[in-house]
Amino acid sequence: MMHRFLAILERDLRKFIRNPIVVAMSLLMPIIYLVILGNSFQGELRRLPLAVVDMDNGPYSARVMELLASIEAGSGTVVISVVSDQGFAMKALREGIFKAVIVLPPDFSRRVIRNDNAEIGLFLDNAETISAMTIKAAVGGALPELKRDFISVREHHLEAGLRSVELYRKIDYDQTLIPGIVIMAIFLGAMTTGAFNMVMDRFLGVDESYFLTPLTKTDIVMGLVASGLLITTVLAVLVLTLSSVISGYPIWESLSVEGFLLLAAVIIFSTLGLQGIMFVIMGRINHPRIVGVLGGFLNVILFFPSGAIYPVESFPAWLKVFADVNPESYSVHAMRALLFKGAGIEAVKGDIIFLSVFAVLLLGLGTLSFKRAL
Amino acid sequence: MIYAIETDNLVKEYGGLRALSGITLRIPQGGCFGLLGPNGAGKTTLIRVLTTLLSPTSGRAFLMGHDVVREAASVRTRIGVVPQAMTSDLDLTGYETMDIYARFFGMGRSERSERIDELLGLVGLKDRASDLVATYSGGMRRRLEIARGLVHKPAILILDEPTIGLDPQSRHVVWGLLERFRMEDDLTILLTTHYMDEAEVLCDQVAIIDYGKIVALGTVPGLKSQIPQKDTVELRLTSVDMQVAADWVAGLQGVVGCRVDDTGLFVSTDKGAQIIPLLVGGLKDLGALVTSVTLKQQTLEDVFIHFTGRPIREEEARKVSFLLGAGIPTKWGR
Repeated sequence: MMHRFLAILERDLRKFIRNPIVVAMSLLMPIIYLVILGNSFQGELRRLPLAVVDMDNGPYSARVMELLASIEAGSGTVVISVVSDQGFAMKALREGIFKAVIVLPPDFSRRVIRNDNAEIGLFLDNAETISAMTIKAAVGGALPELKRDFISVREHHLEAGLRSVELYRKIDYDQTLIPGIVIMAIFLGAMTTGAFNMVMDRFLGVDESYFLTPLTKTDIVMGLVASGLLITTVLAVLVLTLSSVISGYPIWESLSVEGFLLLAAVIIFSTLGLQGIMFVIMGRINHPRIVGVLGGFLNVILFFPSGAIYPVESFPAWLKVFADVNPESYSVHAMRALLFKGAGIEAVKGDIIFLSVFAVLLLGLGTLSFKRAL
Repeated sequence: MIYAIETDNLVKEYGGLRALSGITLRIPQGGCFGLLGPNGAGKTTLIRVLTTLLSPTSGRAFLMGHDVVREAASVRTRIGVVPQAMTSDLDLTGYETMDIYARFFGMGRSERSERIDELLGLVGLKDRASDLVATYSGGMRRRLEIARGLVHKPAILILDEPTIGLDPQSRHVVWGLLERFRMEDDLTILLTTHYMDEAEVLCDQVAIIDYGKIVALGTVPGLKSQIPQKDTVELRLTSVDMQVAADWVAGLQGVVGCRVDDTGLFVSTDKGAQIIPLLVGGLKDLGALVTSVTLKQQTLEDVFIHFTGRPIREEEARKVSFLLGAGIPTKWGR
């Protein structure tokens, strides 16, 4: 029994190392995600083109221009272009030359002086939501200064100072992606080993020669799972180490021995759970083309709703329900607690219990659905 | 007598299609048995039932006394199988292929090592043992798979079209190997083949299977004697009345028929080449000038055609997946 199971394990390990392109892609793809996602989402928006049409040319429109110029000179969020023709400005906004247009109406200063509901027109290109929100926030933040200037009797409020205290060391956005990147490595490992080898054996007709031996269904599944687990765990640890080096987050400083063991448990149970999913889905598949299609699909539906990129709390109710049964959510939650918070067993035991039960159930189902026949 | 393979009224149905229709066979231990038949006749289905890959719909089969359904695990330890398609793993070396396979049978390290060295030496692959199977030619891969099938010292070796797609040299090498293993290891061999010369060279007994039934069973000479087509001597003649010559030939002992055309005679005989001097001498005495003599010996192919007929079999068309397109045949598809 042991002989047979170990023989399958050895076979798969040998096949894996003889496909260095698979090894390289399994390592590179999560790292590329880290670099691309980490840098494309965390950048501050700067130099957004903003047109200002001053139809007032009064003292308060000049003051508005000064305030806007201070944003340009200060945070640099916007680059201001003064445009005299409102029609031209609106056309340019629609063509994407400007991200927003501010229109100061002809009676703006007079209304301010009369304290008569003075309004500034802010036209936003809300097809780019994030740019529009950023400009709105920057302009909106500057306008109270304008109000302070023209209120003759200044009101002084007792201002409560808010001092935020960060519980953990500073973590950049790309560093917060590390748990997601590790779970992606685990997903890729689970997808390209274990059940995938079974599909390839079927596709190439190699499985027939195995079914002619005393190998049982359990031998085959156990051997495939063991080889997949070994390969995937090594890949996950390598990706974790590379991610920490690339993002500059020293995981070895934040992990205790207990934390390391818990992290290993999370990686192992996550791998087994994902392998279980693969076995259930690919149990009877006989063409690698299906695996390719399913792989992309599964990656999207498991990775993005896991909280790896954006907090689960922001999801709509239906997606939260999915996140509640998504093993990657628990993996990400546990890894985030262990890596960034130095948490112990109490913080992650729920995650580990879920992941282990999920793994046992899915691997059991996968073994049952595996067909030891042509 | 102890039978290595014994089947009793074996039936296998796929949906409404009957692939095997009451196959009864007795193959003695140490024999080499050939299964012949057109494409789709049921040969591979029979092999798959005997090798435990498929369960029969009804009937029973025993290999070395073990039931293929109830004692499938015991059967698998007693048989070595070389499937029709090449099934060795391309990403492993020749040695690894053998070693991993031997471990599936629970063989210990030293026993494995000794046996693999011996077999790779016998099939001429010792020097290529550490090369990946992907670098092997078709003939080398087939030899490796035969060696792999024998690694655990099975009592029965079952080969499904063992030389299909091989060049004549490789075929002869494979034949030599099978003869040798059979003699040295007292191996029982069951093989399916389309090649009549292969069956004639290797098999003590053959069964011709068609439409899932055995239509002829016996030794090769025995089957040849059952059919009316015999060896044919073709004589080209001049300077004689053909009908007179034919009448004389028809009266000779050993001649079973004689056909005439404008330029010669076609003499059907069970005496083969032995009758040629008698024919040539007698025709000369009749005043004929014999310009050429050709002997066409009766072959197993004649037997095969006699029992299975000439029409090409209409096999059930395979279907291709609606979702995947070409690639894998499927039950539901176009």
